[in-house]
Amino acid sequence: MKNNLKIQESPLFWPAHIDGKVLLVLDETLIPAKVKYIKVRNTKEAVQVIREMKTRAFGQFLVVLNTFLLELENGRALSPEALVQKLQATAEALNKSRPTFPFAEVTSVVTGWAQAALAQQQDIKTFVSKNVHGYLQGIRYRRLERVQKIAELIKNGDSVLTHCNVSGELAMAAKICQQQKKKIRFFATETRPYLQGTKLTCWELKKMGADVTLIADNAVGSVMADGLVNKVIVGSDRSCANGDFANKIGTYQIAVLAKEFEIPFYVLTQPSSKIACGEDIPIEIRDEKELLNFERKPITKAKVKGFYPGFDVVSHELITQAVAINAGQ
Amino acid sequence: MQDNKNNIILIQGMVDESLFDLLKERGEINVFILEGRPRLKAANILSKELNKRQITPTLIADNMAGFLFKRNLVKEVWVSYQKVDKKGARCDTGALVLGVLGKRHQVPVNLYPAAAQKGAQGKQSDILSFNGVRVAPKGVKGYVPLTDWVPAKYISKVHSCGCCC
Repeated sequence: MKNNLKIQESPLFWPAHIDGKVLLVLDETLIPAKVKYIKVRNTKEAVQVIREMKTRAFGQFLVVLNTFLLELENGRALSPEALVQKLQATAEALNKSRPTFPFAEVTSVVTGWAQAALAQQQDIKTFVSKNVHGYLQGIRYRRLERVQKIAELIKNGDSVLTHCNVSGELAMAAKICQQQKKKIRFFATETRPYLQGTKLTCWELKKMGADVTLIADNAVGSVMADGLVNKVIVGSDRSCANGDFANKIGTYQIAVLAKEFEIPFYVLTQPSSKIACGEDIPIEIRDEKELLNFERKPITKAKVKGFYPGFDVVSHELITQAVAINAGQ
Repeated sequence: MQDNKNNIILIQGMVDESLFDLLKERGEINVFILEGRPRLKAANILSKELNKRQITPTLIADNMAGFLFKRNLVKEVWVSYQKVDKKGARCDTGALVLGVLGKRHQVPVNLYPAAAQKGAQGKQSDILSFNGVRVAPKGVKGYVPLTDWVPAKYISKVHSCGCCC
């Protein structure tokens, strides 16, 4: 690690891990009220935590890889051929869980290892497990490197606007900035309808001792026009060969406003060339009930319909700089 | 959603209800409303006014307008204003977002009088809760601007009550 600096981790940086024979997944929907982990034992339960958005963004990636470890253990009595089939079925179920995140790009790597082990007559469980653990370690190292890059990007006196939640990295960068005596502040959009900005970003930035102010999603223009922010940093769920990316709904209008007000717009990406451009990214349209109700209570008594697209696509020309992580094996 | 191509009337802010009579006269039924955080007044009051005119609006969160613009779904935008002069208008918060999006996507942005005047700032506590439930962690500050200044370059037309032609 650069400068041998010890980085304090946010719980959202690595929100899922294997503990014995279960996968523990941080239930992000309960934060900030509770820090509670859900026990996941198999593919069905893994798909459920993803679909119900108990975890999201990088957490989904961890759930995917660790679910293969669970199924390798669950299928230890199976023949090599049957075990490969089981892993293939796991991949297919995970790929169908939500449409926008590139699940197939991750699962195909793991099923490729299983096929290779079968072809080489190696022990599939040992071979695939070793590769999954190595892959995770590599990703962890590269994400920690990126935290350093984000900290370098943030200068003394900066006021950073962020949207939704970038899975620990921004909060950890904020901590490094503090250690470097930089005076910085953050504005977080609340990020309706799940309020990840309010519940996750504010929570983890506060835990790191950062100065954070919450705004409504409709106040972005106001803070930009009034000069209250001088940088935007957001995450991404999927990247394209031409540099376009998909991220939480609301990101597009923030990017357009940043361009209009000449505010640098940075995105944390996982480069991929599997999709040519943003128009090809499938966008998840979620149930209107998630928008029209909050904690099981309707937000209006009027007769209304709802429309809830889960993600936005941002064109590459709106990006000042992509802060990339190499997601290779 | 593709059926909505350039067909959506997007409304932002607490416009005077007379706008809905005019839209009804024009036969506009595909009305989308931004919910209007922090107090969700648009979701509650405007939706009920539209219901009275047999229009069932589609509600979206305040961060979803960009999606509609990017997919060329928006026909025109109506935002509420408090005051207007040659340089621009003081509008309910969120209007600037729609003004900039309208300019980028060449969608007309119409100003219509607001139902009521607002102060400059709302209460911090409003943004720390949602629908009456505290959602923000302890110690987090809130910033609640209630109006945006929208420069004239983002405004297509300013209307007065009862006139949208």
